[in-house]
Amino acid sequence: MQKLLLITVALVAVCAAGISTPWLQFALTLAIAKGFAALGVAVLLRAGLISIGHAMFFAIGAYSVAFLGRDLGLSDFVGLLVGATFISALSGVIIGAFMVRYRAIFFAMLNLAVSMVLFSLLSKLYSYTGGTDGMRVASPTFFGIAAAEQTIDLILFLTTVLLIPAVGLIVNAYLKSPLGHSLSAVHTNEVRLAYLSVPVGGILMVAYTLSAALAGLGGAIAALAIGHVLPEMAYWTESGHLILVAVLGGVGGVAGPFIGSTFLELTHTVAAGITDSWSMIVGIALLVVIFFLPNGLFGLFNPKRKERAI
Amino acid sequence: MSMFRRTFLAAGALCAAALTGATAQAEEKPSVLGIGVFSFTSGATAAYGLPGRNAAELMVEQINAAGGINGVPLQPTFVDEAQGTEGVITEFRKLSADKTNEIMVAALSSGNCMALAPIVDELKIPTVGWNCDTHQLFAKGAHPYYFRPNGNTVPEFLSFALYLLSVKPDVKRIAIINPDYAFGHDAANIFIAAIKRMKPDVEIVAELYPKLGSATFQTEISRLTAARPDVVFSNLWGGDLENFVRQATPRGLFSRSQVIFALGESSLQNVTIPEGVIVGVLGDGWWKSPDATSNPEAKAFVEAYRAKYGAYPVFPAMKMANSFLYVKHAYEAAMKTNGGKWPSRDEVAAAMRGSVVKTLTGTTTTREDNDGIVDQIVGMTTTSPDLPFPVLGRMARYDGKALMPPMNSDPIGWISSLPDGFAATQPQPGSYQ
Amino acid sequence: MLQILIPILVDALANAALIFFVAVGLTLVFSVLRILNVAHGSFYSIGAYAAASLGLWIIGSGLPAWLTFPSLLVSAALVAGIFGPAIERTIVRWTYGKSEAVQILVTFGLFLILEDLQRIVFGVNSLYEDTPMGLLGSVTFGGVVYLNYQLLLIGLAILTIVGLKFLIGHTRLGRLIAAVVADREMSQAMGINTDRVFMIAFTLGIFLAALGGALATPTSGVTPGLGADTMVLAFAVAAIGGLGRIEGAAVAALIVAVARVLAIYYLPALDAVAPYIVMLVVLLIRPYGLFGSVAARRI
Repeated sequence: MQKLLLITVALVAVCAAGISTPWLQFALTLAIAKGFAALGVAVLLRAGLISIGHAMFFAIGAYSVAFLGRDLGLSDFVGLLVGATFISALSGVIIGAFMVRYRAIFFAMLNLAVSMVLFSLLSKLYSYTGGTDGMRVASPTFFGIAAAEQTIDLILFLTTVLLIPAVGLIVNAYLKSPLGHSLSAVHTNEVRLAYLSVPVGGILMVAYTLSAALAGLGGAIAALAIGHVLPEMAYWTESGHLILVAVLGGVGGVAGPFIGSTFLELTHTVAAGITDSWSMIVGIALLVVIFFLPNGLFGLFNPKRKERAI
Repeated sequence: MSMFRRTFLAAGALCAAALTGATAQAEEKPSVLGIGVFSFTSGATAAYGLPGRNAAELMVEQINAAGGINGVPLQPTFVDEAQGTEGVITEFRKLSADKTNEIMVAALSSGNCMALAPIVDELKIPTVGWNCDTHQLFAKGAHPYYFRPNGNTVPEFLSFALYLLSVKPDVKRIAIINPDYAFGHDAANIFIAAIKRMKPDVEIVAELYPKLGSATFQTEISRLTAARPDVVFSNLWGGDLENFVRQATPRGLFSRSQVIFALGESSLQNVTIPEGVIVGVLGDGWWKSPDATSNPEAKAFVEAYRAKYGAYPVFPAMKMANSFLYVKHAYEAAMKTNGGKWPSRDEVAAAMRGSVVKTLTGTTTTREDNDGIVDQIVGMTTTSPDLPFPVLGRMARYDGKALMPPMNSDPIGWISSLPDGFAATQPQPGSYQ
Repeated sequence: MLQILIPILVDALANAALIFFVAVGLTLVFSVLRILNVAHGSFYSIGAYAAASLGLWIIGSGLPAWLTFPSLLVSAALVAGIFGPAIERTIVRWTYGKSEAVQILVTFGLFLILEDLQRIVFGVNSLYEDTPMGLLGSVTFGGVVYLNYQLLLIGLAILTIVGLKFLIGHTRLGRLIAAVVADREMSQAMGINTDRVFMIAFTLGIFLAALGGALATPTSGVTPGLGADTMVLAFAVAAIGGLGRIEGAAVAALIVAVARVLAIYYLPALDAVAPYIVMLVVLLIRPYGLFGSVAARRI
């Protein structure tokens, strides 16, 4: 009960902060968008899988919004979000079908390879994707009604905030289900699962697809908020940042990635006025979290776990 | 728990403060006029972007020393475009949210201007694109608050085609190496269309688009030389241009082909560009042009710039200086129309539209679609008796109006439909003295 | 046809030589420490910045121009000496035996720190120092002028392959490394100071990355962001060759270079995609890389 109250108050606080200060509203929308993607990364981390390419689904979601708008003339807000999430999930199924056969470092590297192919295609195919300039995203409409830009931003912001509990409940239910529990079983002892004739491939497919959909949703929100999509969204350092956000916030609970990304965004805003060595601060913070706060980080740093043979 | 409550209360207070702040907004004369100034000030592109920033600093200093605009001093905030488009958009929104910032001078890169355009529409803040040139900016819809006094890619690259055909009428094979974004692709399209219109038998033997900020061009240089072109056209700029010149010189590119560096003037003081290379200034902003040297204001600016920064103001610096004159002119004109009151954002924008402003290096005329018309200066590098670096010789100054396609027209279609004798009506190299 | 084949071949070799050093460093560190060092590319750019700065200083202070050649080596050694032991002892050592996720995250944190460190130490502007290139002159192949410096790099890369092979196969240190790679626990039990072997291998890996960066400076500019781009390219090469395989890195560097050069000659729109498409295809067919074995432990 107290937990529920806490979440509600936190969400209301975020809402109020966003409504009162327009640029903070934009920053928070982006932070939450990245939080969704980081949540996707966190789901995979539960199974011990680290992807240095997950930003590709963020980019797929974002570019889906741009393409759906430009080439299919789709401008409905809900349609764009649903469509982009669906396309990302579909890409997740296709790419995941190959990925779930690999573990450990090979999983990480293959994801990296696919994301870099996507990144370079997005930046080089100038006539289709706008190249390194990216693509504009037209303002969405709401059930056929065009609104003023400020109103659109506000609706987008509020929707994004409301999506946290909505999506959070779904992901939470998934993680509490046998499907979700088996993720950590894959992490600790995959061979045993195989003996129990648990379909490990299927379990990972569901997780991969879900994580791709989450990243795609985040990308779609970011595209609508920025009004522009760019190839950098798929670059490998972006994937690194998504893992970082997930780990900083803690991969144990659904709220972790959102706390992580909002915290990062807010401190970035504060730090920007004082120092430009932002990367260094984040890097040091990451090392400190990993070295000194290992208990807060679910499963990932379980000391009992034996090193996986590669 | 109590922390959340406090946060919530604080957020509520912020909300109330923002509301009262919004209602209190009126057209009173402010204590300062905030200006957001966007340029590349780090990385490979800073070689081109820093002179722009320097010029902005100097102009602010000079305008404020002379009492500001109607007594209101300028207060610039500089933003580095090298942080990437997402960061540029965030900074733009953040600056606009601060009510003291009434006007923006943004941006250097065509890519960033295109990304900012819808945000300018949304925030309704008068914005001057001080350097971005892509004709796509106003081709895909109007942006009532976005102004571009320095004109677009069509006249700029049409002028190089005209100049090239005057000095090298027998050209057969052309190779192109441009940066991989809107500006590079637009320039190639316009240049090729213009050449094909005036000399249809020319062959494009290579078209390369390396990434902006590439450290090495060695393979590209091999590819260019292997294609045996008569002419190599390039609109590389900043650190890219300097790298390319340094790497191409020992590999004989300049001795084998006539090279065109459309933005070459901006690098003349940093790297040794050989003699006889066709270079331009994308407009009329050459500090040593006959018009600039006969303008005492321009001369004073060049001297002040040199005293402060130890170099002559390359054309991005002149463009930036001209943009500040443009802003100043708009405020003064708006105050003249509304009876001396401090103008609103709408009044400033209205004053910019259709304005004719005398700049340090010529005149800029703003059309109804907010695009500017300026003359184009093209020349060829030659040694100077009194300067330690090459300067422009055999110059031509093309009338901007003649090279500018009509509003809402497809520029490539317009170029293809130019009349047969069009080139003959244009000034010849060496005619601008 | 021949006229275009020769330039393509020379360009491919020159390109391969440039990527080889940094990729083989990555693969060496992986084979011995079994750590995928995401910060490896940063040492390439630090090496490049150090070499360019040192070269500019030599020219600026009027010292003989030929000194810029040894200065390339010296700056790489300096970078390796300063960063190698210190980082291995404090940060990298902590991750031995931990999961890949931890190793990647820790080295990513290191990458972020090093990126800003470069900004602070070397500033945000591009550097350019090409004295060695100018001193060596040029040569013409198939109608295209090449720099003798580019040929020198190809020779140096071949020398490095031979040298590394010799070091591992025929020296005491090499045998120690091979023993540790083959069986860490057993080597320890036999009295091998594995800590020392790890430190030396890590430092050697960093030296190779920094050397790659230093050797690149005479023919290219040094700009912020170089580390991130190099990292992912070195990654592709090491993965294609099979992580932990020296000859694999050499062959993979050549394959990637051929793919890029062909793309620039015939399909310029795909030049940046080429290495990653090769990487993707190879990894899908052989996840352990062209030369990798399932254990991925041999050196």
